[in-house]
Amino acid sequence: MTRTELSEAFAIAIDTLQANRLRSVLATLGITIGVSFVALMGWFLAGLDSALQHTIDMLGEDMLYVDKWDWSGRTSWGEVSNRKPISYRQAQELATAMRTAQYAMPMGQTRAQLSVGSRKAESIPVAGVPHDYGNTPAGAVTAGRFFTEMEGRSGAPVAVLGPVIAKQLFPNENPLGKEIRIAGQRFTVIGVVRQRGTLLSDFADRLVLIPLERFLRLFGSGQRSFITVLKAGSLEQLGDVREEARLLMRKIRRLRPEQPDDFTINETRSLEQSIAVLRQSVWGVGLSMSALSFLVGIIGIVNIMFVSVVERTQEIGIRKAVGARRRAIALQFLTESVVLCTAGAVLALLLCTGLVLLVRLLIPAAEFLTPYIPPQHVAVALTVAFAAGIVAGWAPALRAARLHPVEALRYE
Amino acid sequence: MPPLIVLENITKVYRTEGEEVHALQGISLVVQPNEYVAIMGPSGSGKSTLMHILGCLDTPTSGRYLLNGRDVSQLDDDELADIRNRQIGFVFQTFNLLPRATALKNVELPLIYAGVPAAERRERARRALEAVGLGDRLHHRPNELSGGQRQRVAIARALVVNPALILADEPTGNLDSVSGSEIMRLFTQLWQLGNTIIIVTHEDYIARYARRIIRIRDGKIESDEPNPEPVHLEQLPSMP
Repeated sequence: MTRTELSEAFAIAIDTLQANRLRSVLATLGITIGVSFVALMGWFLAGLDSALQHTIDMLGEDMLYVDKWDWSGRTSWGEVSNRKPISYRQAQELATAMRTAQYAMPMGQTRAQLSVGSRKAESIPVAGVPHDYGNTPAGAVTAGRFFTEMEGRSGAPVAVLGPVIAKQLFPNENPLGKEIRIAGQRFTVIGVVRQRGTLLSDFADRLVLIPLERFLRLFGSGQRSFITVLKAGSLEQLGDVREEARLLMRKIRRLRPEQPDDFTINETRSLEQSIAVLRQSVWGVGLSMSALSFLVGIIGIVNIMFVSVVERTQEIGIRKAVGARRRAIALQFLTESVVLCTAGAVLALLLCTGLVLLVRLLIPAAEFLTPYIPPQHVAVALTVAFAAGIVAGWAPALRAARLHPVEALRYE
Repeated sequence: MPPLIVLENITKVYRTEGEEVHALQGISLVVQPNEYVAIMGPSGSGKSTLMHILGCLDTPTSGRYLLNGRDVSQLDDDELADIRNRQIGFVFQTFNLLPRATALKNVELPLIYAGVPAAERRERARRALEAVGLGDRLHHRPNELSGGQRQRVAIARALVVNPALILADEPTGNLDSVSGSEIMRLFTQLWQLGNTIIIVTHEDYIARYARRIIRIRDGKIESDEPNPEPVHLEQLPSMP
């Protein structure tokens, strides 16, 4: 294959596509849609992955949460909601009995109204935790401090705010030392937790942490279900801690041997599992949709390429008469088909990038999405489009190459 | 000098819907370099088929065709394409230019398939266009040129590879008589410069320019004689 042949084929392809702009765009629509599916899917999943990683880093991957609720969604909703709540006493008992964990502490959660002067925020998650919580990644503060052991034990009216709620209540001032009301009671803000801005941003970045003692006094323990937070200390310890927690909790909950666990030991890892389910369905739907649009796209290109061969029969005759070999003619049409498909893919990638930027701009909750389509997906999309061009152009190119020069010249 | 073309008992049979058409029935012919030949015959005489075989656009059913001493009667598609590319320049009745390409680009076309690098290609195409008097129309597209000019572009395209043979099929068929005689004058000049020219036509006044006239009827050579009274360039009205 000579360079002149290739560059001529490329020049003809560009020229032809320019001459038939609308037709080219329409012909490549299937490919454009197919590539868009692949790109958007990849983009979404990559965003999900990085958000997940961020979340796990933030929560600490050696953390376990013994809870009534199954965070991964693998246990059926019916079963989980029928479980008895974990009482404060049970959560406390587990935390005290744990030997293998680095930290073990009960935690209570609720939602409450927050206010600063006349500024109000409804249904803000509030967690009551011991002072040890300040030693876990989730309790790391960027400004101020976490509450002390003294403040924890005495149930001092102090609060550590999530960064988003801090900003919401104190848009233009430093919240440290300021007074807020939680469910009507006065608290002093002593710290702000570091920003997560990930999958749990809505929850974690708005969470308000107060001493557990104060939480119990304010909200009571009643029918509320408590969580026991365990920090294993290392990934190697995780298995032992999980096993100890499970045995202790079964004893505390008085389960007979044949009864299943009526609690779940959640790990930050279980987030990964719940996302794996989502990931699978996104891939399943996305792949079948893009396969379908590629199929339709290829049929469209085959069709338009056959039309192109017929329209240009005389041109093929002229080229053959002046010495074009079969290969040169085949190359010309293959190039046209590949350029058509690749142009469709590039168009799709541009549209998707625009869409990505727009979505990020308009929907703050979509912040977990990366600002660009991952490069490996761009590579995959372009490769698939290139291959689609070869497949779609093959039969028309072969037909063009095999035309008899005399008959091609005669064609009107 | 060895003959440029030797045809030995060439036949061509077409089969259409079970029916056999004997387009050529044993044509034998020798053409020397720098001859100026007109092949004449009414439509259906087989002259177009003969021209396709002479131009290596088609192969004979039987017989031998030696072009420059090489047997080209049994070559495959790609080998024929190479022969056309290097040895034969075509001029067609309907010009057969690429409509979207400029004159320059049209003339470059054979050089592309010969693998000539771009810069040299452009230079040779420009010189060929200047040789046919179109040095000022390099960047015009066919639809911006008159019929006569288009045919000159086609002649430049035929000339650009320095072919052994220029084959013209009714080159004036789509032109008015003034442009037609200009084109014939150009062919005659090219012949005088040493080119071998074969013109297929059914019009006597075109054939009169040639130095040898071969008449075909029913797929056979009816007569093959020197032209007793060829048109000389001085007799022509001069080009505008």
